Amino acid sequence: MTKLPPYLRPGDTIGIVCPAGYMPLEKAQTCIQTLQEWGYRVRIGNTLGGDSPNYFSGTDEQRLADLQTMLDAEDVQAILCGRGGYGLTRIIDRIDFSTFKKQPKWIIGYSDITVLHAHIHKNYKTATLHSPMASAFNDEGYRSEYVESLWQALEGKKARYECPVHPYDKKGTAIGELVGGNLSLLAHMIGTDSDMKTKGKILFLEDVGEYLYNIDRMFYQLKRSGKLDKLAGLIIGGFTDTKDTTRPYGSGAYEIIRDVVQEYDYPVCFGFPVSHEKENYALKVGVGHKLKVGKHKVTLEE
Amino acid sequence: MNRKYFLSSILGIGTTVSTLGVSRRKALPELSGASSELPLITPAYLQAGDTIGITCPAGAITLKEIEPAMQLIQSWGFRIKVGETVGKKDFTFGGTDAERAADMQQMMDDPSLKAILCARGGYGSVHIIDRLDLAGLTRHPKWVIGFSDITVILCHLHRNLNMAAIHSKMCNSFPDDWSKAEPIQAESILSIRQALAGEKMQYSIPRDDKNRTGIGEGPLVGGNLKTIETLSGTRSDIDTTGKILFVEDTGEYLYSIDRMFWNLERTGKLSGLKGLVVGGFKTKPDDPGDDFGRTLYDIVLDRVKGYTYPVCFGFPVGHQKNNFALKNGMSHRLTVDGQKATLEEIM
Repeated sequence: MTKLPPYLRPGDTIGIVCPAGYMPLEKAQTCIQTLQEWGYRVRIGNTLGGDSPNYFSGTDEQRLADLQTMLDAEDVQAILCGRGGYGLTRIIDRIDFSTFKKQPKWIIGYSDITVLHAHIHKNYKTATLHSPMASAFNDEGYRSEYVESLWQALEGKKARYECPVHPYDKKGTAIGELVGGNLSLLAHMIGTDSDMKTKGKILFLEDVGEYLYNIDRMFYQLKRSGKLDKLAGLIIGGFTDTKDTTRPYGSGAYEIIRDVVQEYDYPVCFGFPVSHEKENYALKVGVGHKLKVGKHKVTLEE
Repeated sequence: MNRKYFLSSILGIGTTVSTLGVSRRKALPELSGASSELPLITPAYLQAGDTIGITCPAGAITLKEIEPAMQLIQSWGFRIKVGETVGKKDFTFGGTDAERAADMQQMMDDPSLKAILCARGGYGSVHIIDRLDLAGLTRHPKWVIGFSDITVILCHLHRNLNMAAIHSKMCNSFPDDWSKAEPIQAESILSIRQALAGEKMQYSIPRDDKNRTGIGEGPLVGGNLKTIETLSGTRSDIDTTGKILFVEDTGEYLYSIDRMFWNLERTGKLSGLKGLVVGGFKTKPDDPGDDFGRTLYDIVLDRVKGYTYPVCFGFPVGHQKNNFALKNGMSHRLTVDGQKATLEEIM
């Protein structure tokens, strides 16, 4: 059974860190205000803003130390990653999860944060939150149902999401633990200590800015490493801003995925609102869900 | 960067079978046998009059585009058999998956062929690799030749058969007019002939200040780094323990190359090496405001700092004119000293 960190109560503290790419503090202002309006305190980590001159929000040591501090702090009840980018792979094996194991807390984010979701699911069987991050609150985003779904998740409300059907859907009902995240990261972790098992689970996947041939190649890697054949169900989110080669690949991302999963008989839905766009519901990784892919709608409920 | 290479070769002997190395890694999934526990299969070297098949397991190419390669190879005294997939096109692919698999299968099974030259890379080998029955190739070992996407096949043969193969340029890199080929391009292509003829490969390159000196011996394995990463966890994943690893890539961001070296590290592919050969890495410039702040040197040296084996940079292998033939799976010695780095086939 997956361990559930305690849900948040008014007055609890959410720490914000950037374990990967750099984010200026002002881009997180709306997020900070909103979290406060939701009734939480906010602790700003050293890696949000700061004076890093390059891609990363700080050196490996600084990013590791900031995340470690938040993981170990008794008065921090959840950790929201300000943004993704790239960088968790470089520190994941150095994070000390011993306090987290005893006192789990919600870890929130997506994209590069998939490394934390997968690593924690694999090694500590503790639920995490795949959800919008700080910049999703900007430009009125804080009013959206997607950002609000993060609040509901933190409050302990059970998730129930619906989305329209897609012509490539494979109908059916699946029950299992929900796992997944960013396809590139999940493929990248195959064979490492952060490689999550998918047997009997509902897998969700999304990606952004990838070449079509590379999406195909990653799906072949999932398939050939046995990640797809024993799923309970599969949720395909947004595959946005895809790129093509000079010689056109000849099919789109969803066609590629449809072809790869053709041989399986579990339910599959396409176009679920989990993505690098604003359509990005908070999903509890490691928690039991029911996926129903029907004739008229798709539902995912905890 | 204008580096000068010198290339020498010693005439080798014919087919050899030997056992090499011991596997220490247990993480690999269900397999028919880890490469290093299998005896090395060295296909017979080619003689004048032998036939080389040309096929397209990945991207599409036309007959006209492979003509310069055919002419040159014929001038070396070999015959050519053109596969069914040459001239076929399914968008980017050289025919449908079924067509490409059938063509490769037919060539692997054909006892009259002594080598299979992949016409070009691109993308697509992973679609057909699990459809291939390797029994015919085991009965009639032959040199499979290619790089880039063909890394899938090279790794698969190494992992499942421990069969040597040639990592080299393919048909699409042969110049239209041989007489006008740049010397470095001509030398690269001629190294394929030397490899096929059984000459022992030996390459030396000038020192690079960032090299790490030392000597290491072991089977040479490697290829395109991104491709190696995407084989992790599959039946084509390679065990690098006790081996010399060479890697190259093109068109990737520095952050992505960093992530790939972390993948090598985290999948246990760096810890047991005897040597690391870093080939060409053409990087995509960082997006504005996203300066990665580290060079390829930084990325590699940071990942290997916990180990002591030799490391050399700028080896002439990759998506570039100077891309010399390497015998994947065969025993090599890497010697890196203050003057130069030498990679030579041994035994």
